[in-house]
Amino acid sequence: MPLNIDWQQILLHWMNLAILTGGLYFLLYKPVKQFMAKREEYYRSLDQQAQEKLDQAQRLRDQAQEKLDGADEEIRQARAKAQQSVQQSAEEQLARVQVQAQQILTHARAEAEHDREEILRSSQRELRRLAAEATKRLALHKDPFDQFLDLAEEEASHEER
Amino acid sequence: MKQHKKGLALWLAAILLLLAGALLTGSPGRTETVQEAMRDAVLHDVNRISLPGFKAVNPGMISALLVTAVLLLAAALIRIFVIPKFRYMPGKFQMLLEEAVGVFDGMARGSSPHRSGFVGTYIFGVGSFIFVGTLFELLGAQAVTTHGHAVTLPAPLSDVNAAIALGTLSYLVIVSGGIAGNGVKGIGKALKEFSLPISMSFRLFGALLSGLLVTELVYYYVSLSFVLPVVVGVLFTLLHALIQTYVLTMLTALYYGEVSEPDHKEKRAKARKS
Repeated sequence: MPLNIDWQQILLHWMNLAILTGGLYFLLYKPVKQFMAKREEYYRSLDQQAQEKLDQAQRLRDQAQEKLDGADEEIRQARAKAQQSVQQSAEEQLARVQVQAQQILTHARAEAEHDREEILRSSQRELRRLAAEATKRLALHKDPFDQFLDLAEEEASHEER
Repeated sequence: MKQHKKGLALWLAAILLLLAGALLTGSPGRTETVQEAMRDAVLHDVNRISLPGFKAVNPGMISALLVTAVLLLAAALIRIFVIPKFRYMPGKFQMLLEEAVGVFDGMARGSSPHRSGFVGTYIFGVGSFIFVGTLFELLGAQAVTTHGHAVTLPAPLSDVNAAIALGTLSYLVIVSGGIAGNGVKGIGKALKEFSLPISMSFRLFGALLSGLLVTELVYYYVSLSFVLPVVVGVLFTLLHALIQTYVLTMLTALYYGEVSEPDHKEKRAKARKS
């Protein structure tokens, strides 16, 4: 054969390569690949677990946020209610106070009216008494005009005192 | 500082002594001319080695068997002592092993996404063989020929029989991928690339043989045997090993992926059915 090609040796090389390929596959390639796959699986499961925990944390966060939002709403409602109640109470008190003030005013007006009438009546009575007394004195003793003047002076000095 | 100078002086003295010794001793006499050495490196028709139970074989065959034995022994030791101690946080050696497996597995997945299991196994095996086999020539392992001379065992793939075996086996693997992926159509697809076994075989053979010839030439003359082998022997061989491994495994994976890829029409029909 040209180039000293020998089919027997070629077959021997084939056999040699077949043994080598098979041997390396079982001794090295397969175990190393299995280990790499196992490690990949391990890290994938770790990754998956981490992802699940992350999802769970996210869910909890959402729930907490929801609760927080609910609490905010409750607080807002309570505040509004309290404000309403305070306002109502203030209005009631104001109304009460207004009524009381009105009553006091009415009462004071009535009393003042009553006092005025009383004073008026008392003054009329005094005037009548004075007129009667003056008339009586005029009729009995002095010149009525002088007596009237004396009496008026006496009354003025009495009031000054 | 003084110690460093002493060490340097000793080292230089040792080199000069060895050089003088090499030059004064002289060559024991050549058993063959450079032409004969080169011719034998290509044809392997003179220096043959006896394989028990078989006729005399080329030195490359012995190299191939030795490389396989070394690889399998190393793999067995790794399987027994290293792999059971693998950790999720890998050490340096574990990373090296994972990288080696990952590179070929990734290449198989990338080139043949539909059917990558078998081709990954195959390219891992032959990739290891080409890489370690090419570096094997650096060891300079000796064997005795049928004529009683000692010869240095070459890289297995510098033997045309090994290169043809690897090229044709890779082609058969590609054909098997075609059959597995597309049945009879796959055979047709693979046969379209009928030049593949020849190109694969002779690319490997040519690349490895050229390396071997340059090395033979360099080592044949004593005057070229200083400093130059560091570049030719180590750096070139290392680069060579990487390139040849990459080229053959990549080509195999690529063609395997191409012929095993399901037909687009079939794909559409399956999609419609499902």
